[in-house]
Amino acid sequence: MMAIRELKVCLLGDTGVGKSSIVCRFVQDHFDHNISPTIGASFMTKTVPCGSELHKFLIWDTAGQERFHSLAPMYYRGSAAAVIVYDITKQDSFHTLKKWVKELKEHGPENIVMAIAGNKCDLSDIREVPLKDAKEYAESIGAIVVETSAKNAINIEELFQGISRQIPPLDPHENENNGAIKLGKQTMQASRRCC
Amino acid sequence: MSPAHHQLPRLCFPPQPGQLTPEPQTVSTRERSSLGRSPLSGPEAGTLAMGRPEEAALLQLEEVFSATLARIDSLVLQPLLMLEPTDPQSRECLQLLQQLRKSSQQLWKVTEESLHSLRERLRHPDAIGLESLLLLDGADRVLQVYMEYIESYTSCVVTQAFQKAVKKRSDYWRSRQKALQQQLWGMTSEGSMDTKLAQVLCQPLTRHVQEYVSLLRSLRDTAGEHRPACELVAHATTLFENLQSFMRQALDQAVATQGLWRTLSSRLRDALYTPARRLLQDSQDMPLTVTPLRAERVLLFDDILVLLQGHNVHTFDLKLVWVDSEQNGCVFHLLTPEEEFFFGSKYRQDQVVWQWKITQAVCQALRGKKDFPLLGAGLESSKPPICRSMAYTFLAEGRLCQATYEGEWYQGRPHGKGTLKWPNGRNHVGTFCQGLEHGFGICLVPQASEDKFDCYKCHWREGSMCGYGICEYGIDEVYKGYFQEGLRHGFGVLESAQQAPQHCKYTGHWERGQRDGYGIQEDSDRGELYIGLWQADQRHGPGVVVTQAGVCYQGTFQEDKMVGPGILLSEDDSLFEGTFTRDLTLVGKGKVTFPNGFTLEGSFGSGAGRGLHAQGVLDTDALPPDPSSTCYRQLGLGIFPVESRWQGVYGPFRDFVHTGCPGDLQEALLGFHVQSSRELRKSQEYLCCESTQLDDSAGRMEDILEELLQHRDPEALQKCLRKALSNSLHPLGKLLQTLMLTFQATYAGIGANKHLQGLAQEEVKQHAQELWAAYRGLLQVALQRKGQALEEEEDTEARDRRVHGLVLPLMLPSFYSELFTLYLLLHEREDSHYSQGITNLSLFPDTNLLEFLDVQKHLWPLKDLTLTTNQRHSLVKDKCFLSAIECLQKVITTMDPREKLEVLERTYREIEATVSRVLGQEHKLPMDDLLPLLIYVVSRAQIQHLGAEIHLIRDMMDPIHTGGLFDFLLTALESCYEHIQKKDMHRSPR
Repeated sequence: MMAIRELKVCLLGDTGVGKSSIVCRFVQDHFDHNISPTIGASFMTKTVPCGSELHKFLIWDTAGQERFHSLAPMYYRGSAAAVIVYDITKQDSFHTLKKWVKELKEHGPENIVMAIAGNKCDLSDIREVPLKDAKEYAESIGAIVVETSAKNAINIEELFQGISRQIPPLDPHENENNGAIKLGKQTMQASRRCC
Repeated sequence: MSPAHHQLPRLCFPPQPGQLTPEPQTVSTRERSSLGRSPLSGPEAGTLAMGRPEEAALLQLEEVFSATLARIDSLVLQPLLMLEPTDPQSRECLQLLQQLRKSSQQLWKVTEESLHSLRERLRHPDAIGLESLLLLDGADRVLQVYMEYIESYTSCVVTQAFQKAVKKRSDYWRSRQKALQQQLWGMTSEGSMDTKLAQVLCQPLTRHVQEYVSLLRSLRDTAGEHRPACELVAHATTLFENLQSFMRQALDQAVATQGLWRTLSSRLRDALYTPARRLLQDSQDMPLTVTPLRAERVLLFDDILVLLQGHNVHTFDLKLVWVDSEQNGCVFHLLTPEEEFFFGSKYRQDQVVWQWKITQAVCQALRGKKDFPLLGAGLESSKPPICRSMAYTFLAEGRLCQATYEGEWYQGRPHGKGTLKWPNGRNHVGTFCQGLEHGFGICLVPQASEDKFDCYKCHWREGSMCGYGICEYGIDEVYKGYFQEGLRHGFGVLESAQQAPQHCKYTGHWERGQRDGYGIQEDSDRGELYIGLWQADQRHGPGVVVTQAGVCYQGTFQEDKMVGPGILLSEDDSLFEGTFTRDLTLVGKGKVTFPNGFTLEGSFGSGAGRGLHAQGVLDTDALPPDPSSTCYRQLGLGIFPVESRWQGVYGPFRDFVHTGCPGDLQEALLGFHVQSSRELRKSQEYLCCESTQLDDSAGRMEDILEELLQHRDPEALQKCLRKALSNSLHPLGKLLQTLMLTFQATYAGIGANKHLQGLAQEEVKQHAQELWAAYRGLLQVALQRKGQALEEEEDTEARDRRVHGLVLPLMLPSFYSELFTLYLLLHEREDSHYSQGITNLSLFPDTNLLEFLDVQKHLWPLKDLTLTTNQRHSLVKDKCFLSAIECLQKVITTMDPREKLEVLERTYREIEATVSRVLGQEHKLPMDDLLPLLIYVVSRAQIQHLGAEIHLIRDMMDPIHTGGLFDFLLTALESCYEHIQKKDMHRSPR
């Protein structure tokens, strides 16, 4: 039996950039027999193989509205990865993205894997954010970057595969007791008591 | 006084001959058939019925004896009784003589009866069988009368009653000498008057019995073997033969005893003499050495054993003498309650005789009647029982001096159930082992002053308190907890009476009678609660003090004083850091951080009436610190490791499991089942029930373990555990009760302080773990008893799953009220902001609120209402998402964190269902839409203290849910709660 690692992934980004569409596409494309319960499009899970392990993504959506911005830390605490989504047709959304990156760097969990998704690449003719800008920015902060289209299912798989690859493999020593060690559990518990 | 006027013949009531004569033929037939004999035995019956010469001789014998008795009565006994008692001695003498006459009269009466039965038989030899003779049919009764006479007679001999009586009226007897001589023909007339009287009163009897025996023997020899009467004849023959032996022995003993009394010094005689006492063996006749006590003479009486050593007379009641059957050479071992001896003799033979005689004397003494026919011969066992039930007062100096033990003994030691009473009023009722208190016992100890008692209801081991006990010290103090070697040791609660002027309560650990280890002390008078470590009855080591006023200290104590650096958290959330004095005021260098972030650093001092004064730098520039840091600061975390905090409670349970759950130790290790203190106060009753309880508890333990074995699949296990935990007689229930006790002692009352929430919540989780471990321990014992394979050691994950999934929800209700109060206090401020928020939002009509919260219009559940605007407003008010709101409100109806989370999930499903209905299709809500809707529902549900709820759920939630759906929902709820606290939620509706 392969060990299952539960990875909490947090979705950040402006309202309307298609955060939940990406997740819906990711979760639905693969026909999954054991449908885990979800909270609408706000909380979904999906298990994918990665090397000798299985990665179970626990994907937490957040509200993108500006007024709820201050609530975000509750959601991203204990995350192994964050998917920050912008709309390539909206320069503003890229600005917001930068704000999120900055906040995560300052207050987010240590070693959080950051993945930048430039959504709506099917509308590249009305693009406002050049791919090059996004790539340069991602490189500067050490993040994964892909342009995706939830509508046309472009690069969705790749986005999560990229995250999987970035997750450091389990310490083999820890793996000995055959327990499914949940990454981020320790960090979560450590940071939980912030009240 | 003198019964001289009684005419003896009138004392008997011989039945009139005619009355007893039924029709001869019928009777003999009936008799035969009633005896189950066949009619064929008829001829034989005929020969017997003709009567025998022996019967005629018997008749004559009885006639002569009856006449002799009558004559003796008038000539000897009646005059003997004409004695004017002038002193106690002669009074006693008279009593004995009276008794002798009574016995003599009985003897005469029974002789007359016998005579009558013989006459009847001779008159109707055909109709009345041989077996109708009193001598045969009533041989035992006749024997009894003879023995009573001998008893009375020998008592008179021992006491020298005849001698004394004759001496008092010597003139009279001298004058009667001749007449007596004539009347009592054929008797030897040697010696003095009193010897003659003694012979007169004994010889006819001996001779008579002798005649009986010879006649009965010949009757036995001539009678056929098949007759039923034959058995009776044989039986009677044996009895009277035995009676001869008995008489001989009795007379011998009487003579020996009389001889002893004559030769003993008057001091010894006064100490030892009683009329009924008989000497069985004297070491002057058969030498004996006694070690370690060097007695020069040993006297064995029929009730006591006497050792004479110089002027000392050591007397031992035979009922409390054990002869050790283990013998070693020429020595045997004697055990008495207070002393042990070795009896030895030069000759093995003598030693055997002594040992045998003492053993038989003990047997006889315990049986309470003389062995028949001879000492040590008879039907009864010749081995005295090792366990006996007796009373004894200890004489030797020491703990038991003057104390009386009444109860069961074993080999010279109190052993079994008994009562030990000291002359000073101390009283111990309970079980004993090898002479010491052992097992459950109740001890009352009078207090020096007043009419008050200390009452110890305790388990004892080898004479001192050990295990669980309840001690009431008068009415002032009560200790409930564990003991070792008579001292408080382990976990225990000492509480002074509620009405006492300085009410104090200590809940914690003890060592050799002193507070030591982790303990909680509540001082109601000072309004202080100390939580921390103790040593030698003093606060020593890290500790936390919480006061009624809400001020908290944390620091290090040394010899009851807080010394060195410490912190103080004031009620207004100011933080003092520095050095504290004994009375807990800041002194010397220190720093104060005010809630607004100002700090004051410098040197502090306090003087009489001046309060606290400081010299230092007030820093008003400092950035406001995280406002939560002081307010939410938790004390004691990490200082008192949760695993070792209540070892004294978990420990006895572990011991209980390790020893294999012995039913009889359950109480000693796990404490009593106490319904009310009044119940225990009836100490005697409690003890009565106890013996059955012990058997019960062993049986109950079996049932308990069996039940565990039978309910191992998850669902049954949950039910079984629920039952066990709620049953205060169950070991798990008892453990839980004690844990609750410690929890209340720490966190209720003064301890209800927000800075203790961290300690409390980790303690609850630890208790859940320990309860699960306790269950596993019991299960292993159950398996072991059945010889089944033991359960494998669980891995941490499986254990955590059971602890959180199974045990925590079952035991949390027992701690919930104290625990929730702490959460309530800790989150009071946020909760009040939240309260303002929901109060404000409640002013909004539904549609306004939905709009205010930016819920997208197409999600408003208004479409199915086709009403006018006014109607719509009135109807719609409080109607939107009603099902979700009502569902969420149920979150406070359960204490189980998992159930609370399930309520949250159902709430979400209700929202989703409503939205799907509005949209006419299934709709997956993204967070952008869900959060405003959820805020709407939360604000309308108006749950009080939601912050406390959320934090409690999160702390008690199974860690397996971390990052999962429940975690998400709880986070969503928490974010709503946070959002509602915000300023912009306090805006009034437009």
